[in-house]
Amino acid sequence: MSKRTFQGGIHPYEGKELTEDKEIRPLLPKSDLVYPLSQHIGAPATPVVKKGDSVLVGQLIAQAGGFVSANIHSSVSGTVKCIEPRMTSNGVKVNSIVIENDGEYREVDAAPVLDDHKLTKEVIRQKVKDAGIVGMGGAGFPTHVKLTPQNDDEIDYVIVNCAECEPYITSDYRRMIEEPEKLVEGLKIVLKLFPNAQGILAVENNKPKAVKVLKELVESEERIVVQSLKTKYPQGAERQLIYVTTGRKIDSSMLPAHVGCVVNNVDTIVNIYRAIREGKPLTERVVTVTGDAVKEPGNFLVKLGTNCEELIEAAGGFVCEPEKVIAGGPMMGKAMSDIHVPSTKGLSALLSFKVDEVAKCEPSNCIRCGRCITVCPGRVVPSVLAKLAEQGNEEAFLANNGMECCECGCCSYVCPAKRPLTQVIAGTRKQILANKKK
Amino acid sequence: MTGLLNVSASPHVRDKKTTTSIMGDVIIALLPATIVGIYNFKLDALIIILLCIATCVLTEGLFQKIAKRKYTMTDLSAVVTGLLLALNLPSTVPFYIPILGSVFAILVVKQLFGGIGQNFMNPALAARCFLVISFTGKMTDFTYDAVSGPTPLALLKSGESVDLMDMFLGTTAGTIGETSALALLLGGVYLLVRGIISYRIPFFYIATVAVYAAIYSATSLGGFSLEYVAGHLLGGGLMIGAIFMATDYVTSPATPKGQIVFGIFLGLLTATFRIFGGSAEGVSYAIILGNLLVPMIEKFTMPKPFGPSKKDKAKKETKEKNEIMPNTVKLFLITLVSGALLGLVYAVTKDPIAEQNEKKQQEAYMSVFETADSFEELEGFDSEEAGKILEDGGFNGSDISGIVIALDSNKEALGYVVTVVSHEGYGGDIEFSVGISANGTVNGIEFLSIEETAGLGMNATKDEFKSQFTGKQVTAFVSTKSGAKAENEIDALTGATITTDAVTGSVNAAIYYCDYLEGGAGNE
Repeated sequence: MSKRTFQGGIHPYEGKELTEDKEIRPLLPKSDLVYPLSQHIGAPATPVVKKGDSVLVGQLIAQAGGFVSANIHSSVSGTVKCIEPRMTSNGVKVNSIVIENDGEYREVDAAPVLDDHKLTKEVIRQKVKDAGIVGMGGAGFPTHVKLTPQNDDEIDYVIVNCAECEPYITSDYRRMIEEPEKLVEGLKIVLKLFPNAQGILAVENNKPKAVKVLKELVESEERIVVQSLKTKYPQGAERQLIYVTTGRKIDSSMLPAHVGCVVNNVDTIVNIYRAIREGKPLTERVVTVTGDAVKEPGNFLVKLGTNCEELIEAAGGFVCEPEKVIAGGPMMGKAMSDIHVPSTKGLSALLSFKVDEVAKCEPSNCIRCGRCITVCPGRVVPSVLAKLAEQGNEEAFLANNGMECCECGCCSYVCPAKRPLTQVIAGTRKQILANKKK
Repeated sequence: MTGLLNVSASPHVRDKKTTTSIMGDVIIALLPATIVGIYNFKLDALIIILLCIATCVLTEGLFQKIAKRKYTMTDLSAVVTGLLLALNLPSTVPFYIPILGSVFAILVVKQLFGGIGQNFMNPALAARCFLVISFTGKMTDFTYDAVSGPTPLALLKSGESVDLMDMFLGTTAGTIGETSALALLLGGVYLLVRGIISYRIPFFYIATVAVYAAIYSATSLGGFSLEYVAGHLLGGGLMIGAIFMATDYVTSPATPKGQIVFGIFLGLLTATFRIFGGSAEGVSYAIILGNLLVPMIEKFTMPKPFGPSKKDKAKKETKEKNEIMPNTVKLFLITLVSGALLGLVYAVTKDPIAEQNEKKQQEAYMSVFETADSFEELEGFDSEEAGKILEDGGFNGSDISGIVIALDSNKEALGYVVTVVSHEGYGGDIEFSVGISANGTVNGIEFLSIEETAGLGMNATKDEFKSQFTGKQVTAFVSTKSGAKAENEIDALTGATITTDAVTGSVNAAIYYCDYLEGGAGNE
């Protein structure tokens, strides 16, 4: 168990008991599948199919639009119905490929599985890129970019983010319990890229079962260790995770590679395994469908592009009309105005609440209690930043290290005056970043 | 599914604590002290508490109605202010005082600065200071068990002993809520457990006062005294101040390091005010002054953002920093060092000051007994016993602080030099030496300390007044305003009859005491 922990952080209600014992169930879509061309960070993908084309499972339907971009593959067999803007869970319309499912799931021939000695670094990277794998914790950063630092020899640690610190979500946990071999094998493949690196499986200690299973599995692995971390949100935030596992610190201007680290999510590593060992691209992911508004919360292996409404149906439908449905966890997930949107590579959970408790919160004056300062893992002063943000004082906002905020939401969570601190700060950060790009 | 779902920025969950629940917790934490207060001071206390709370809440509501602002009476912050103010008042104050104080606290200190979260001074304390300055007599009239008496802290300052158990339990004189350290500590523990306050401000505040008092007692009161230190911790408003007033969110630093600095600063101020100031108490003023420094303290104690330090960043490699000394330890050491320095200054200046005093004393002896060659301490002299003898002789306003035998060159006794203290001076105690020959003739008087009114009572130090006593052999002097005629009559100083009578009375006491020593009239 790592003795180190980061400063700040909170312990919100975990809600994981709803789904942690629910096995991953495959879910086959009934209606049309929708693939937004932009479901990753970077340039949108370019379609390589057109209306009327028939496609197979695993067939490339859109190609990466640049180095920082990702391929998209069909998760079903059927016909391309159209390519048009469709609503996504972010609340914006994105150009998407729509495929009519023929229900037969005819697959393309799997890419040949190479012998170990033929697996050179170049081949591994190419295969990861071809498979369209992106960071599946939610950010959606193309994984092949992450795996291509300036100097492979300078990477000391490959950290697998098994923290899953977001309340309610258990998709990574179920993967760890049900397919731990795939996770460890995937990590071993990544370690081939970095000859000097040690692999760290960083699990929070509120998942003792996962810790046990993984520890047993890596007992004979010289280059892999399991670290059990003191449970606290936001453990899985990249900067905090690197610090807790290695003692190294980065700020907003640095990348993990600057301190010799590469950080990847559980499902990302599992999909690297699938791409290399099974020759299959990224076409499905585990999604936790949970919350007090669904009848039978559970974990589902979802074909990407499946309409979220079908996920809710798979979980027994709603108990009553929910006030809020969130794509992701309660801390950093995005509230959806409508559930008729496709599931994407970054969707780890669909969380439905009967009651939207935030809507009932009436912000009042800041009483200067200092709670936001205590919990901020970025060690900034949210109360001051929020004030400067409200005043539109970007200069002072920057001087007070406003860009070091990681928008984890801890300050808003603890604020007794119910001030929307994270929201205000995040808004100004976005503004500043947008101005920089101009 | 009909219509659209709620959309808002993350996070989508919130902690249960609200401003109102925090204020509620503070009220719960104050209950033990409130109950002890009502038990000690009965109905008076209850009425004052209710008056304060009602006035605070009403003032807030009325102001907000007139100013057309949002009502905040239900957030309980006005109730906390009212309760705190009440607990800081003596139970004997007339009822207009709590009302006036409450209006001042809410209207002037809180609402005029923008309401909750915007005031820069603790409203209850500012109101208390306002009342103490305006109604000093009424605000410092303390009773216990319906008997008026000094607070333990006042006793401590005048060098008397205090009952620590009474102070701990609260069965002693003081304001309604400050007397019971036990009840206040209980409340403090509750606040800590509930996560309402951090230990930082109360701990560093109280610890600083303890260290300060310990050093002061060790260097200046003839040896370290646990009773003295404990008295400072349990007495006065330190507990209620450190636990409830200094931790007021709005008027204390929100930064963790700032809270430590704040606590130490309050400790230094409080101990200085208490030990060297005119009043026995100093907590209120210390906190109010501290409140003013909060923005500055916060500015210098902002946390460093997470990430590598600039040096590490330059190296592009971060190594774990080995913090040899946590900041808390550093700050605590600073307190210790400053306390030690204070003690050192005292220790260095102690001997020269004593020497100076000794020289002044010898000079005084010579001036009141010119024929003497040397002086020798009277063996077996006991100031308390002498006081009793004087009391028996009817001299209530004087004490004898010292007596020496005047010797001639052959070491033969010529008489005494008696140093007397009159408690009946206009501006405080007057201390002076009187030279008295063996036959009772007064050889002269000389003042050691006198703080009478300049131009009136201070004229006592002039030769024309002092010489009236010289060379006279009487049993008692009397003052007169109509021109001294008889041997034992002394011309009163113009406009300073009290001073004249004080000096005359003490000269008579000295004569009486010498006579007693010689086995004279008093023994007949």
